[in-house]
Amino acid sequence: MNTPNPRRPYVRPMAGWWRRNPFFVEYMVHEGTALFVAAYAIVLLVGLLRLAQGEAAWNGWLDALKSPLSVAFHLILLAAIAYHCWTWFRIMPKTMPPIVVRGKRLPPGAITGCGLAVAAVASLVLLGLVWGMTR
Amino acid sequence: MADVAETRKFIEIEVLRYRPEQDSEPFLQIFEVPFTDDMSVLQGLQYIKDYLDGSLSFRWSCRMAICGSCGMMIDGKPRLSCKTFLRDFHPGRVRVEALAHFPIERDLVIVMDDFIDKLESIKPYIIAKEPRTLEQGEYLQTPAERDVYEQFSSCINCLLCYAACPQYGLNPEFVGPGIMALLHRYNVDSRDGGAAQRMDVVNAEEGVFNCTAVGYCSEVCPKHVDPANAVNQNKTLSAKDYFLRFVTPKGGAR
Amino acid sequence: MEAYKVDVAIVGAGGAGLRAAIAVAEADPSLKIALISKVYPMRSHTVAAEGGSAGVVQAHDSLEHHFHDTVSGGDWLCEQDVVDDFVARCTGEMVQLEHWGCPWSRKEDGHINVRAFGGMKIERTWFAADKTGFHMLHTLFQTSIKYPSIRRFDEHFCVDLVVEDGRAQGVVAVQIASRQFTLIQANAVIIATGGAGRVFRENTNGGIVTGDGMAIAYRHGVPLRDMEFVQYHPTCMPGTGLLFTEACRGEGGFLLNKDGYRYLQDYGLGPAEPSPRNKAMELGPRDRLSQAFWYEQQKGRTIDGPHGAVVHLDLRHLGEAKLRERLPQIYELAEEFLGVDPARAPIPVRPAVHYTMGGILVDGRCAAPLPGLYAAGECSSVGIHGANRLGSNSLAELCVFGKVAGDAAAGFAKSVAPGNSAALLKQAAAVEQRALAILTNTSGTERIATLRKEMAESMENGCGIYRQGDTMQATCDKLGELRQRFRNVNVEDKSRVWNTDWLLAIELGYQLDVAEAMAHSALNRRESRGAHQRLDGFGERDDIQYLKHTQAHYAGDGPPRIDYGDVKITRSAPATRAYGAAGEKAEQERQAGREGKVPHG
Repeated sequence: MNTPNPRRPYVRPMAGWWRRNPFFVEYMVHEGTALFVAAYAIVLLVGLLRLAQGEAAWNGWLDALKSPLSVAFHLILLAAIAYHCWTWFRIMPKTMPPIVVRGKRLPPGAITGCGLAVAAVASLVLLGLVWGMTR
Repeated sequence: MADVAETRKFIEIEVLRYRPEQDSEPFLQIFEVPFTDDMSVLQGLQYIKDYLDGSLSFRWSCRMAICGSCGMMIDGKPRLSCKTFLRDFHPGRVRVEALAHFPIERDLVIVMDDFIDKLESIKPYIIAKEPRTLEQGEYLQTPAERDVYEQFSSCINCLLCYAACPQYGLNPEFVGPGIMALLHRYNVDSRDGGAAQRMDVVNAEEGVFNCTAVGYCSEVCPKHVDPANAVNQNKTLSAKDYFLRFVTPKGGAR
Repeated sequence: MEAYKVDVAIVGAGGAGLRAAIAVAEADPSLKIALISKVYPMRSHTVAAEGGSAGVVQAHDSLEHHFHDTVSGGDWLCEQDVVDDFVARCTGEMVQLEHWGCPWSRKEDGHINVRAFGGMKIERTWFAADKTGFHMLHTLFQTSIKYPSIRRFDEHFCVDLVVEDGRAQGVVAVQIASRQFTLIQANAVIIATGGAGRVFRENTNGGIVTGDGMAIAYRHGVPLRDMEFVQYHPTCMPGTGLLFTEACRGEGGFLLNKDGYRYLQDYGLGPAEPSPRNKAMELGPRDRLSQAFWYEQQKGRTIDGPHGAVVHLDLRHLGEAKLRERLPQIYELAEEFLGVDPARAPIPVRPAVHYTMGGILVDGRCAAPLPGLYAAGECSSVGIHGANRLGSNSLAELCVFGKVAGDAAAGFAKSVAPGNSAALLKQAAAVEQRALAILTNTSGTERIATLRKEMAESMENGCGIYRQGDTMQATCDKLGELRQRFRNVNVEDKSRVWNTDWLLAIELGYQLDVAEAMAHSALNRRESRGAHQRLDGFGERDDIQYLKHTQAHYAGDGPPRIDYGDVKITRSAPATRAYGAAGEKAEQERQAGREGKVPHG
């Protein structure tokens, strides 16, 4: 008795997948904040370009940075990059081989904490250096 | 399940139904189920099958989160229905759907041939580094050496990680988290010498670099396997393998 | 109908089926193997075994000790020659699994570690934390992928055996996803379908443990042996029956009654020492521990819970670190399912049905009386468990007798010519019609779940830890009634794709037959031995009349016909089964008087 195969598997569409789960939304925000990192890189690159064009151009760029709009934009950049940094270090333990300290595996929280601490210290050192140079 | 007839509490279970012989696409159906606080979502589904609608189909067996059969989307999250409890949704409604990213065979049953095919492709067995006869006894392996792969050997093949991986949903060719965990399990076993033979799977276009480090696979894993870790460790190994290929014919694998 | 020809067909892809498949593939790579399972292999119930698998490794241990523990643990209803063969093969099989990658727990020096288990004189239980069965099953499944001659039929449900010219010549299986039937023609058939614990209400078993293979062989005239011996595991989760492994006690856990008292010392298992001595107290055998629970309940010394009386499994003194290392799954089960942190509070437990000691009658080569038919694992009765199985002997059995069955079936398959395919196909078509008949019966009124529930309750009433003639008779009568009502079963779902309603009905048919074999075997055994304990004047072991294997023969619509077979005694004459201090004394006497003296019985 050879009857045709009745199987008819249903494949669900993926459209809008990232809205289905808060975790995915967060992931998209994390990935999205990478654009802010890129934006800041462009700001710096423009500065470099202006520097090459001479003193007047450079000073114009510096003045533009001081505008309220630019300050607000930089605050947004800072927030987005801080968020990117935090979520980046949060995923870091999942990307590394286990780190064994005195016979025990380092817990993920410690790895994330170390990463954030190093980032914070590096930022502070940089801030201090720039601060000292501009005095 | 305590005698559910005596219970006064009811919960609505909303189930995604799909009967390929009569439905053109899946639809949601609501069942009202009496429950006690110790009842799992699986027991709720069993109640439906036993007393409300015998045609509801789902996979289950051990009831204790080790056989890996009963993975489902419960309120949108991939979970084992045997260790998800109805009390956590009461007095609201709980929605139960087939695992995401897999074709639905029927109701809550998915087609998992893809996973099995991939499992068969990674040589998931010891390829002995130094063959040994039974008379020579066991290989020596210290607890520390065992600890390196033990976590990855704990995969129960429940597929929750695949339902958590949007990259797999978007591109089913992607080898995916669970399989990479199992591949890694053998590669880092001190008894195994087959890593080079498994590197093709890792390096392939559908290999580890399909992963964009969403990381949700490890969040939903009921057995703390951390498949994301296996995938990402292999990104490093794959890159090393790629560059070392210019230096040695065997590449970076041991 | 599709037809597929192989040399060996194996039904069931748990530990025994997979081990058998690998054995056939290694015996002769040219032999074609069909491995048929109603679930994907890694879902098989071997996965749920927790504590470990026996194999003598320590210098102060010996095969002789393992032999005696097994035979006395089985209350002398064991085939002693088979037990000898078994204990001799265990360690090799465990090493084989190690070579295949099983993540056995290790000692600091890299050698495998062993733990204590109930009824075992010396520690010989190999373990992989408390997920031993899981790791063994996945190791075997993944290793089986290495062998191209093994063709798997995953999620194929076996509906019947095909017997032609007086020998087993294949099986008929249906693909669950499509309801397409396939005749798998084979020169030899191995049944490895596991136990039948789901015929009881409160049990540790997975939903798939429905005695399919036992019923199939039984219906073809193969006797089911010693079916009255059903093991209650003493430490299970109230309500669901989920298992808390014996390794909890092997690692040093206590059993306490409502007064916090280690009550086992009142049942000939003492003395109570801070860490249980092997074969004493909490490390006594399962039948004795479950029976002690029953008495405590009678005395009103248990604790009332929402799912009946419980006692406490106390692991607090072991400390969180050790529990997380040695018993991680138990820790999670207690936390997630019961909301109990076992490092801080005792776990409520009660006995639940765990294991069927009996099964398809086979000899020491796993061959059934029907030529071409073999059986291995829990579905079989090869004769090593007797009236009570010792913990960690069943996982070892899967490997040892999986291999024995594979080797024997491979040899047999090569010795016979394939049968007449046309005749087999004709039979298979009839099998298909019978299987579908239950579906096309439109006048059915009986609910599957109702019949199943009545069966399970009746089995618990009549065939529990302690039994009486009248309640067993009531259970036998009830099962007869249920078998009649089953003819009128209503399968709601008529569809073809993944119709589990239909499969549940077929499984229920299998279960009713197996349950009936159990109940009638129990009713007819007028003595108490191992897991079969009676309260109605047959409270003692009776070696004169009942040092015999019960054999239940299928008799169509009527109750089974019961007869008895001999027990093979080679060198251990039946003696008093004693544990604790009394056991040690008896052991000393046995050793002192070894020259030709028959111990007291």
